[in-house]
Amino acid sequence: MASTVIGAGITIEGEVTTDEDVVVQGTVRGRLVAKDAVSVESGGAVEADITGGPVAVAGTVTGNINSSDRVDLQNGAKVIGNVKATRITIADGAQFKGNVDMDV
Amino acid sequence: MANSTVIGRTSFIRGRVTGDGDLEIAGRVEGDVAVSGEVLVDTSGLVAANISGSRIVVRGAVKGDLVAEEALVIESSARVVGDLRAPRIAIAQGGLVRGHVQTGNAGPARPRAAAAPARATVSETKARPVAAPAPAPTRTVTTVKAPPPPPAKTVAAPVKTNQHKPAPPASRQGPPPPVVPVLKKGTKAVQKKAR
Repeated sequence: MASTVIGAGITIEGEVTTDEDVVVQGTVRGRLVAKDAVSVESGGAVEADITGGPVAVAGTVTGNINSSDRVDLQNGAKVIGNVKATRITIADGAQFKGNVDMDV
Repeated sequence: MANSTVIGRTSFIRGRVTGDGDLEIAGRVEGDVAVSGEVLVDTSGLVAANISGSRIVVRGAVKGDLVAEEALVIESSARVVGDLRAPRIAIAQGGLVRGHVQTGNAGPARPRAAAAPARATVSETKARPVAAPAPAPTRTVTTVKAPPPPPAKTVAAPVKTNQHKPAPPASRQGPPPPVVPVLKKGTKAVQKKAR
């Protein structure tokens, strides 16, 4: 279903721009801009600012997350950076260091 | 295809794509692509990058060199501008290719110096810029508008310009003729007074 998948073992250095869903199982360095959902799966690593719709993180993100919808930090997630979203969940077991901006 | 990567139709990647696993490109990629597995450039794929992989299949457009460890398949809908190198290369009818094609397990890099004379014997010698006609030396008219004259020698200057203007066409191969300075209005007024 997901249209763009960055598989495990693949590294992208640079800018990723897309209008569709993105699933990150590998590594992205640079910038990640999506119009739709972004999912950083367990084992995936993003060293970049993420802009997108709903963002789900079970892997590692080093960088700011800017979502037009919700951000879910799942169990096993490790996020270092600021999160800006309308809704946010941080699951038990998720590591997070940064600011939260929920636009109140 | 356990760990396969898909670049979707609307995705655009600017940068390097490296690593292990297969890669399917249906979107746009600018930069470099180097993976250990198979690379498939789909019909909607648009790649401006050198691609290297174990096996490369092209159905879309690629601008860049393609180097495959095993095989290279150019399908009928493909457009490729760049060099192809692989042990086995297939170009389907309808596939468009512009570039050097080399099969077999030859050296790591294409011997560019050796390849040029060998290709000259083939009838398909296409516009190799070997002896491009050197551009004609720029006309002296253009050089006239260069630095202002030295203010001290204003008296000798008018005689000099009259002698040099017809001269330049005769000297073809030498360096461009000396720059003839343009006299400012103020200096002309001074000369008239001197006469």
